[in-house]
Amino acid sequence: MSELLAVSRYEFRMQARKRSLWLVTLLLGCLLIAIQGDQGPRHLPADTPPAEVMTTWAILLGIVVPLGFGMVLADRLIRDRRLGTTALLESLPVGPGRFLAGKYLGGLAASALPVFLLMLVAGGYESLHRGDPLLLGWTVLVFAVVMLPGLAFVAGFALVCPLVVSAPLFRVLFVGYWFWGNFLGAEILPSLTGTLLTPVGAYPASWLSGQWQMYAGDPGWLSFLRPEPDGLAALSSVLLLVLTGLLPLLVAGLVFNRRRRTTV
Amino acid sequence: MKSELIRPIQNRRLPLWRYEARRAGWTLLAAPLTALLVGVALALLAANGGSSRDQVGRMLLAGPEVLLPLTTGMAAVSMVARDGCRELQLSLPTRYAVTLGRRLGTLALAGAVCTLLFSAILGLTGLWAGPGPLASTLVWLPPTLWLAALAVLVGILGRSLVVATTVVAVVWLGELLFAAWFAAEGWARPFFLFTTVRFGVDGDWWTNRLALTASGLLIVVVVALLLRRPHQLLTEEEV
Repeated sequence: MSELLAVSRYEFRMQARKRSLWLVTLLLGCLLIAIQGDQGPRHLPADTPPAEVMTTWAILLGIVVPLGFGMVLADRLIRDRRLGTTALLESLPVGPGRFLAGKYLGGLAASALPVFLLMLVAGGYESLHRGDPLLLGWTVLVFAVVMLPGLAFVAGFALVCPLVVSAPLFRVLFVGYWFWGNFLGAEILPSLTGTLLTPVGAYPASWLSGQWQMYAGDPGWLSFLRPEPDGLAALSSVLLLVLTGLLPLLVAGLVFNRRRRTTV
Repeated sequence: MKSELIRPIQNRRLPLWRYEARRAGWTLLAAPLTALLVGVALALLAANGGSSRDQVGRMLLAGPEVLLPLTTGMAAVSMVARDGCRELQLSLPTRYAVTLGRRLGTLALAGAVCTLLFSAILGLTGLWAGPGPLASTLVWLPPTLWLAALAVLVGILGRSLVVATTVVAVVWLGELLFAAWFAAEGWARPFFLFTTVRFGVDGDWWTNRLALTASGLLIVVVVALLLRRPHQLLTEEEV
């Protein structure tokens, strides 16, 4: 356990110091706030319930902020190879599974930190603007339920997939997937938009706000993944996103373990 | 006598192009082929879902017009950002802008050959839904030039692969998501990258293509000017 914590802490500290991570989140946050238009959270009526205000913020930031998140994480494992530190890291008394899990947790925490701070700034602004300090509590809850599962899902794939398809190809496929899996309506093409596996958080956002958000449950391809957006569906979506995000790590862990056994 | 002196110099240039193509490796062909094959896969999905011939034709155009700029932009910025011996390149008499131009030239050439072949196949099979043969190049060339040039510009200014790829991703996604806004705003429509697929070849199509080409070339000029001080590209790891 202490080994896992040590790897997580090392990865977190290393990545939290990356200027591009903060720059990208700041740029995307400012861009989204500037171009949100009349439908954006800043223009919601004064009597809008706090849950709806903060889920609207989460959805707005969730449109593109995870793109930057995926771009940052795409070279975390490849970087070790490029800098020639893989052999050194493999010589440490930490198993490949724990090492990978530590990288995942540390990378996820470090990359999610600027997104969380961005949400806190939005929550702080709204609580001052609307005179409701409870909005800050809603900010934390909405971040944990709507945004974090999607970020965990992206982190799992962004860490492992570049090892197989290379970082540039992963980045291209990831951007294409982000459009296909979150925004492309099922009436145009079969897509994952509006399913429990939508990482933008359509189901938890719909449940928390009581408003239909981001095509949640829209009829289409894979109908078993499109239940009515209620509490159970939101919980299923959160669990499914987190567990699916762990799948690539599990496969990579098995491969790394096997490789270590054959090389020893 | 004169021709004998010139020939070795000319011959020396071709191996450099060949070397750059080998250095880029599979990225050269993967960038255009990924775009075109994903476009074909989307068209097959649409056809399977009962879409009309016109919609399937538009989906096939998405490969060269929508996906090719993304793959080429990402490949271009990766080629610029990842140079294992940039400090050595800067010590050579050849200007770094020329080396970089040759590298990006191989990418452009591979993309152009693949897309021209793809367009020709679609034309021969009657599946081409874009403008006539003479204007067909304008379906993919202006948006690809524009986004790839922007990617390289941001890569050079920011010296960060993450920032440059994120900017490319956000611009690409933003143009797709806010297509209606681009259509409504008169001043923004000339800069919409995916006009053929989204709105077809209407009256504004030529204006849009020319505006994209002109602004893309302007970004290339800015890139060339920035590359006059190539030492600014060096990152902390290289200094």
